[in-house]
Amino acid sequence: MSNIQPEVVTTDRIVNERKETHFHQFWKEFRKKKPALISLFFILFLILIMIIGPSVVPYDPAKPDYNRVLESPTLEHFFGTDEFGRDILSRLAVGARLTLSVSISAVLLGAVFGTILGLVSGFFGKLLDRSIMRVCDVLFAFPDLILAIGIVAILGPGLRNVIIAVSFFSIPSFARIVRSATLETKEMLFVEATRSIGASNRRIIWKHIFPETVPTIIVYFTMKVGTAILAAASLSFLGLGAEPSSPDWGAMLSKSRDYIDSSFHLVFFPGLIIFLTVLAFNLLGDGLRDVLDPKTKD
Amino acid sequence: MKKRLLGQLFLLSTVLLVISACSSDSTSGTDGAAKSNNKKITIAIDQNFVTLDPHNAGDTVSIFGTRAMYEGLVGFDKNMNVVPVLAEDYSVSEDALTYTFKLREGVTFHDGEPFNAAAVKANFDRIMDENDDLRAKRNFQYVDRLEIANDYEVKFVLNQPFSAMLNKFAMVPMISPNAIDDNSKDIRLNPVGTGPFKFKEWNQGDSLVVESFNEYWNSESTNVEKVTFKPVPENGARAAMLKTGEADFVYPVPQQDVKELENVDGVVIEQTPSTIARYVSINTFKEPFTNEKVRKAMNYAVNKEAYIKVVKNGYGKTLDSTMSSETQYYSNQEPYTFNLEKAKELMNEAGYEDGFEAEIWGNTSSETLKGMELLKQQLAQIRIDVTIKSMEEGTLSDEIYTPKTPEEAKVQMWYVSWSPSSGDADGATRSLFSSEYFPPNGANTAYYNNSQVDEWIDAANETSDTKAQEDIYAKIQSEAYDDAPWIFLASDTILSGYHDHLEGVYVLPDGSVSIKEAQLK
Repeated sequence: MSNIQPEVVTTDRIVNERKETHFHQFWKEFRKKKPALISLFFILFLILIMIIGPSVVPYDPAKPDYNRVLESPTLEHFFGTDEFGRDILSRLAVGARLTLSVSISAVLLGAVFGTILGLVSGFFGKLLDRSIMRVCDVLFAFPDLILAIGIVAILGPGLRNVIIAVSFFSIPSFARIVRSATLETKEMLFVEATRSIGASNRRIIWKHIFPETVPTIIVYFTMKVGTAILAAASLSFLGLGAEPSSPDWGAMLSKSRDYIDSSFHLVFFPGLIIFLTVLAFNLLGDGLRDVLDPKTKD
Repeated sequence: MKKRLLGQLFLLSTVLLVISACSSDSTSGTDGAAKSNNKKITIAIDQNFVTLDPHNAGDTVSIFGTRAMYEGLVGFDKNMNVVPVLAEDYSVSEDALTYTFKLREGVTFHDGEPFNAAAVKANFDRIMDENDDLRAKRNFQYVDRLEIANDYEVKFVLNQPFSAMLNKFAMVPMISPNAIDDNSKDIRLNPVGTGPFKFKEWNQGDSLVVESFNEYWNSESTNVEKVTFKPVPENGARAAMLKTGEADFVYPVPQQDVKELENVDGVVIEQTPSTIARYVSINTFKEPFTNEKVRKAMNYAVNKEAYIKVVKNGYGKTLDSTMSSETQYYSNQEPYTFNLEKAKELMNEAGYEDGFEAEIWGNTSSETLKGMELLKQQLAQIRIDVTIKSMEEGTLSDEIYTPKTPEEAKVQMWYVSWSPSSGDADGATRSLFSSEYFPPNGANTAYYNNSQVDEWIDAANETSDTKAQEDIYAKIQSEAYDDAPWIFLASDTILSGYHDHLEGVYVLPDGSVSIKEAQLK
């Protein structure tokens, strides 16, 4: 009779186990999404380059060599040289830090403000909700890039202002997406329960509602980074972003368009890396959404 | 039944649509083929026309745009020599104060008005009118009065001798007196001249169209009936237009596309040495540029050969004076050959061995950006940390020409070029180096202030002895080059391209396109 021992489990272990299984489950699901997995590794590789890039590149990305301008790809210069004889591979590697940090920090900034606005708007509702959402609607009415160009035109060109401009146009989309998640969570039983214990609004928002919106934010964040890279590159292309001499991918693409006929590799490699990076972020976002979003699960 | 009828109707309409589409296709096809029969040409250039008022055009593009429709008493030939145009003949008095022009008879303006002494008077009065403040007035600054001898002879009397006066006459085209009197139409938008082409339409920012003028006095000169000027700022687009035949003449041809375009069947690329000087003006009123040693160090630190090779793709010559070798009275100087040791030494002597920060301004064209980036790389060798600021042309012009005094000016270095449209030494010297021509009065953006040079510039004007002028201009060039108010870079080689069925369209050394002698084969 007494050979069945009641298992004594500490709450700690329950939580740990649940977390582990959570992640484990996620990973099991995610592993099946091959494109997203490859994208993840590509992005991790880019982040690695971002960190160690400047110390491992074969050439000084800023050092011109006027005797070797516009050379096609060779074993010495895998991606060839640009109009000043600088190594394109080295420039792209160093430029990764610039381009990625600009776009990631811009989206991060947009996500922070957008999430706060979305949580507040969804939780409190009423007039506050309506006014925040109408302001977002006004911002939505502008095409993203036009809005960014307008902001940069007011603030003046430069990378800092590009970050501000790009984050500005990502705020409303984050706000809206977080708001709808909040509205849904707000009505759930456990929130009701917490409220009935007498928890403060702040506690309810941060401890209970916010964690529920995190998966949505992660998915949206990943996808938005792709857009931000494109936007930052476009602004640099138009001469509104990075200083023309810096190895920013968009600026590199912009300056080499004069050589599209004569030295194709000048346009090809920066274009390819922008394409691949944006694609990787989008595929990763797709994969994450499939796994994290309960609505897409069958 | 009804359904079938509808079906048939639909079929019929589709067939009709396709046929009409085909036929419109074929008409546009014949249009293209008939293009050469119709004697139309298209000329692609890199900038927009600013104005079509020939007395107020200041930029090269507007000047050559108006020259398609207007003529002066004298004009320039292909090598920028002054030749008679509306004047059959001219003479200059011994004291160099009276210029007598014998006018060509039988010349009419596009509106039917005859060209005669009265027309010259009407133009003279318009230019000298204090209220108008036209650019052409600068050309006539030493002209005291106009005397009319008879219907076909006029005399300009000067209040002091002016060596470059004939070139200045070539810069003053004649407008129909009717058009001057008619206040209902703006001359800027409705040009009426005596030239081989008359005005058709001007869509600002898009195209300028001119048509041949049937009663032109020298009807042999051109057989082209319609010319369209198209401003195309994008280098690649312009090159493509020449390649596909969309444009018959293209100027400037982007240097990096020359090799490829030369291999295209029927395309000819022409190289012309120019009067265009490329330089960076250094604001000599600002620390640390007040120090001549710093300015010289900057000149020694820039590798001019690399500049020509990288930025100009090899098309250009080192600028070894304050003007290009094609300009009148050019005298070559010992160039600041690239010498890093010497540059560093000079920076040491000036007390700037650790360098300083500086700003360079320029427009947004891709060539300017490339030039400024190269200068940034070169000046980094003597620890000058240069920030590139590229501005849209209008903003740039405001920033540079608005300050009233040298102290107010914010410009430190300006990457720019200068081309004397009148081709004379005065045009290449006075507004760049005379202290009376600080912005906003002129283009002395280096704020170069040398009383000796000021004196020489005036002295050169006052003599009519060409030998003495040559000596004076040699002294000016030597002094100004040695003071290094600029980083002297290069003089351009003009690259133009055309299809070989077109002849007689060419670019003058100052960068202006002439279509007066255009002939289609």
